[in-house]
Amino acid sequence: MLERIALHQTRLHTPGLGLDSKGVALGAKGLVLLPSIDRLVAFLAVYTRERSLEDLMPSLTMNVVRSKLGTREITLEVAAESSDRMDRISETARLVGGSTFTGTSRHFVQYRDAAAPFGYDATELLATDAALLLYHDRFSQTYDVERALELRALLLRLMPHVDPSTRLEPGLRLVVAEQGLGAALVHYLVRSRVEGEVGVAEWPPESAFDDYPVRRWLLRIPEVPERMRDLLHATPGITSFVPAGPGAAVEAGFRHPVELRACPVFDAAGVVLVRGRGDEPWVIPRLPPMGPLTAFARVELRSSPREAAVATRVEAAETVRVPLRVTPSSAPWRNVTATWIEPAQLPLLRRLAYALPRPTITRATVALTERGAFLRSGGGIEAIPLGTFFVEVHPNLYVPAGYEVTPAVAPEVLARALGAPPGQVLFLGTDAHAVAVDEAAFVPLEAALLDAPPWTTAVAEEIDRSLEEAPLGMEVSSIGMLPLRGVEPSPDRNG
Amino acid sequence: MADPRAIASRLFQDVMAPLVLGGPVRPGHAIGARAAQELASAADAIDAELADRVQTGRVRRARRLAPIDSLEPASGAEWVLMASLHDVLQSTNPSFDSALRRGAAVRILDLAHQTLERVPPAAHVGEALSRHSWLARLFELSRTDTDVSWWTGSRTFRGVAPPARLQAWPELRRVSVVATPRPLLELTPLAVDRDKLVGAVARMLERSPLTDLATCTRAAPAFAWQRTTLALVATRAGRTLVLRSLQRLSGPEVDTVLGKATRALLASKGASSEPALALLGERALGAAQGASASSSPSNPEAEFARGLGAVCATHLLGERGWPEAERARLLAALGPVSASPAAREACALLPADP
Repeated sequence: MLERIALHQTRLHTPGLGLDSKGVALGAKGLVLLPSIDRLVAFLAVYTRERSLEDLMPSLTMNVVRSKLGTREITLEVAAESSDRMDRISETARLVGGSTFTGTSRHFVQYRDAAAPFGYDATELLATDAALLLYHDRFSQTYDVERALELRALLLRLMPHVDPSTRLEPGLRLVVAEQGLGAALVHYLVRSRVEGEVGVAEWPPESAFDDYPVRRWLLRIPEVPERMRDLLHATPGITSFVPAGPGAAVEAGFRHPVELRACPVFDAAGVVLVRGRGDEPWVIPRLPPMGPLTAFARVELRSSPREAAVATRVEAAETVRVPLRVTPSSAPWRNVTATWIEPAQLPLLRRLAYALPRPTITRATVALTERGAFLRSGGGIEAIPLGTFFVEVHPNLYVPAGYEVTPAVAPEVLARALGAPPGQVLFLGTDAHAVAVDEAAFVPLEAALLDAPPWTTAVAEEIDRSLEEAPLGMEVSSIGMLPLRGVEPSPDRNG
Repeated sequence: MADPRAIASRLFQDVMAPLVLGGPVRPGHAIGARAAQELASAADAIDAELADRVQTGRVRRARRLAPIDSLEPASGAEWVLMASLHDVLQSTNPSFDSALRRGAAVRILDLAHQTLERVPPAAHVGEALSRHSWLARLFELSRTDTDVSWWTGSRTFRGVAPPARLQAWPELRRVSVVATPRPLLELTPLAVDRDKLVGAVARMLERSPLTDLATCTRAAPAFAWQRTTLALVATRAGRTLVLRSLQRLSGPEVDTVLGKATRALLASKGASSEPALALLGERALGAAQGASASSSPSNPEAEFARGLGAVCATHLLGERGWPEAERARLLAALGPVSASPAAREACALLPADP
């Protein structure tokens, strides 16, 4: 009933069967027929060894089907997106003794093999109400679906193989300790300075005779010291698990027959702990809150509690201090070496800059603050007729010109009383309030004055770059179905 | 047969322009000998702006050897030459490496051979320079093969960029990406016989003698004196261009290659060896004038070339009207080399009246 599809054949009899861009017969789905569950497991084991099931998962369905004769077999259906995907599935199925078919709804024909590179087409279709009709070059069979198989349930039912080498693998370990052992284990790990996290997980009571849920300690240890491995692997009541993918871990000393990393069926928010020896897996739907191991370190209290000593404020001694005043003075101006230009007058300073002689600009330094500009010039600041003039009465201490401080203390005393730290320049205002400016903020006026125009990139660099040659590469394109179409020898050779 | 204008446009944009300006060369559907003959008449189909840029690139390339300001657009022979190069490149497409398609690659390479047969040798130095401006970067061509491995498998992408999805989550999926550039003659897998591919490239170099000499230190195909290269070197202008192009290569390597090729030429006694001897002599004179005698470890072939060159240079000094002081200085510089055992061995191979 099957015939091989020829090159350039366009008409097919099987409903839902079409040709892809390579001319291979392909339906919307691919189907693998496997004789038993163990073959299905072998298929999954072989496939996941090389690739992830992530691409197949959205369309993957597995069923137990029954033929007219009552035999039960397993089908695995996926979306046959391309012949590349189907080729991989077909090769894997062939390896484990399965057959591969393609179709869209009920009719599935044998997928291509070495005998028919473009696939097969069924010339005569079976007339039946069966859910599946499979056409193979050696048989045509109808099947009814008996029940569905869920991948996650199947993976959890599989017993891991014994593999002692996993105990030696470095890296993260999940350790489950029975309730009575947890505290001692945590204390041991804290004492040994092992880093990790710990939480407590709950499971429902194991039987109706138990009143309380089962609680176990769950520890996550990024790196188990080698000396502790035996303790964690061999102590009864402590079970160590090796992560086997997001949301799954397998007991150390065992290996799951299917590569769980390639099976995205476990919720990463929880964890499934697959145990060996045929024990049922421990499922934690949502990881419990976990705290650092150090939070569980044993605490000790002092034997004789005493109240903490509290410092008390001591009343200030009586003083005879009077507030500082700055009052006008009729004394002549001397040593006027600074000016304070308020922000509103800064535009005037900018205009004045064009008229200032070079010696004045060279000697003056300026500090720009939010209160305005402070200019200093050791030779006298009168050449810049702006702002409030200041007289330097003491190194780094300025008083407004024409004013004096009362009480009439010595400048050294005044400086000490103001308590300015070294490196600060103090300007005492007429309201007796001092403004401190960091001495490092004073920069040469000539450096601050000039706003340099923008400049363009040097021409030489542009020339250099334009003469660079881009590296040569070679890209490969598709050769198409007919790579020799239109390729002809020269006319004289054709004769 | 497909539209020659479309083929010409595709060939120019995907192969000829990148070969001059740099960037990815993308060989496509094979052209064949018959279509290659008709490309010159369809040259008006190419993008004018791109053509201007390519002309500028060719002049820039040519000005490394000669002070010229313009080059003619691609001639009919150059179109055929580039079409055959395209087919040679296409025959290396890794998609041909399967049981049912290998024959197509072999056929394409055979037709490229045929196409090259139709290209006449360069008629003058200007034509050799023009062809060199197209093929000067031939041996810079390389295909980047990328090996991507992740936690459950690996895959190799030959000449195409790997899809981003395979490189997603690099740390979680332990993705490792290794890109390996493979030169044209080291590509693998190859659907055609590698010797045949090397033969096609050698035939192409025969049609562009200046490129042949300017890339003489390449690994394959090994340089050997051909009728076309000897004809180029036989002219004064051609020899000057060749000397300038050899200046850009490593001196000891050039000496080794020329020594080996000239030894084979002298031993064959098949063609006139005078142009090759003149080239070696002028190279030796140049080295003596610049006092740039190589102090690097040498090999017998390089010694042979230097010795033979020194003998020829001594001969040249006797013929021409050199100033006496200069002549004496050059003879003093050439003396030790021309008296070396390698020079004596070379003299024994020379024709009776060189």
